[in-house]
Amino acid sequence: MTASAIDGCDVPAAPSPEPGRSVPAPLYVVCSPNRQVGKTMLARLLAEHYMADARPVAAFDLSDEAPGLADYLTRHVTIPSIQDTRGQVRFFDGLIETANIPKIIDLSHREFANFFTIVDKIGLFEEAQRRAIEPLILFLIDPSPVAAKAYGLLRRRFAGISLLPVRNLTVAKGLPYCASFPHASRLVVSLEIAMLGPAARALVEREKFSFLNLAKQASPYSDMSARTRAELDAWFRRARFQFREIELSLIREQILSALHSDLRLT
Amino acid sequence: MARPAVILVGADKGGVGKTTVSRTLLDYFASRKITTRAFDTECPKGTLKRFHPAITDVVDVTSVPDQMKIFDTVESSGAQVTLIDIRAGLMTPTLQALRNIGFIDMTKRGDLAFAVFHILGPSIASLDEIAETSKFLLDARYFLVKNFINNTTFFDWDEGTYNSYFNKIPHALEVVVPKLSEMACEKVELAAVPFATFIADKTASGQPAGYSFVLRGYVRHWLSGVFADYDRVRLTDVLESPDSAKSPRSNAKVAELSPQRASS
Repeated sequence: MTASAIDGCDVPAAPSPEPGRSVPAPLYVVCSPNRQVGKTMLARLLAEHYMADARPVAAFDLSDEAPGLADYLTRHVTIPSIQDTRGQVRFFDGLIETANIPKIIDLSHREFANFFTIVDKIGLFEEAQRRAIEPLILFLIDPSPVAAKAYGLLRRRFAGISLLPVRNLTVAKGLPYCASFPHASRLVVSLEIAMLGPAARALVEREKFSFLNLAKQASPYSDMSARTRAELDAWFRRARFQFREIELSLIREQILSALHSDLRLT
Repeated sequence: MARPAVILVGADKGGVGKTTVSRTLLDYFASRKITTRAFDTECPKGTLKRFHPAITDVVDVTSVPDQMKIFDTVESSGAQVTLIDIRAGLMTPTLQALRNIGFIDMTKRGDLAFAVFHILGPSIASLDEIAETSKFLLDARYFLVKNFINNTTFFDWDEGTYNSYFNKIPHALEVVVPKLSEMACEKVELAAVPFATFIADKTASGQPAGYSFVLRGYVRHWLSGVFADYDRVRLTDVLESPDSAKSPRSNAKVAELSPQRASS
């Protein structure tokens, strides 16, 4: 999806499933083994995407350095701990308890290995799928060999789970996907975070900044120029368009799988 | 051809995990559709019976009537495996009793299969137990179990000491029980069900239990590690008659294994 195809268009309405079919609620794991690649930004965008439609969403901040997701969306984000078994029980059992709410995990680069080791041991993703929750690993790619190696490990360890490379153009512009980050999902979508100009970027990085305020209020930030506002509007809209594509892909997959099982029955 | 097997699980020291290992063995055989019966020698209260009540009897292994109850019925009970969880301090006396009643001679003839799971504690005294126990077991399958379930460390065994003991017993095989999260371990204890039942989220009566998914995941991961080690030592070969059994000795000698082989 190119930027020009999106700019100037309204974000389509939230997709609704065919009556009688329940669409798996996504469990987004926003991750990378590296810092400063845009994990928290992507998690913020996703959370505010659902909040902008007044749809329920559960967000979890597993980042261990400020500013994390909880610093931006203080009232909407839970800060779990997975350091001990008690914390893991509280967090992971809670994740799969409610099936119909999208969930977003902002995973710190320091927790990356520990998180996926636990997930593998306890079989979280398989159990989530049994409970109509669709795990989606959103992996922020970057040129480092560590990222490519980690991506390969996830791909092998979680075969059958959607692993989507996310290109943040600020850190991964021009980085080819295919060589090190092959698409590993049934969902035919790709995610890209466009670059922002310096003024817009500085504004977005303020802890009090909210895309929701930007959408709802005429002039939420006194020092924001009309040009910066237009840039941010388009940027948020573009991100939301891609998130809608993911949701639509999930519905499409659900319908296809229902059709296949219907065909098998007849 | 399958033949009845008697498996003794014991140690002369207490608190090393005999009942835990017995429980994993019962789950392992059940998963392979091998019928079992068990005897719990923690008389009169019983510990193994809490977890496997349907197949477990509490017995006093030092009393002649209870010895008859166990050993006179090995072939007629219908169970392929008779497992005896020997309480602390009774391992050597039980082996002596088995020798005295001629049971060990029967196993030498190949009518019955006999295996001993000797659960090792972390102290050097455990190594001394091996020499004492092994003299009864020239024709039995002898498994030395390092139980890491409670994060036991075996650091006071240096490799030379370890090998000097194990080299004397060429037919012994090492089995490792990996560490399990303490909380998961505690919850299974409280639930008083077999590990496999806990993983399946069922109560003892077969009703949905609502155990933590995370803890069930940890137990499943741990138990699959234990089963993998039982597969490695070809535990089900115990049931094979001597003619058809393939000896695992050539590929898994204890002496070739490091004493520091840690838990997963």
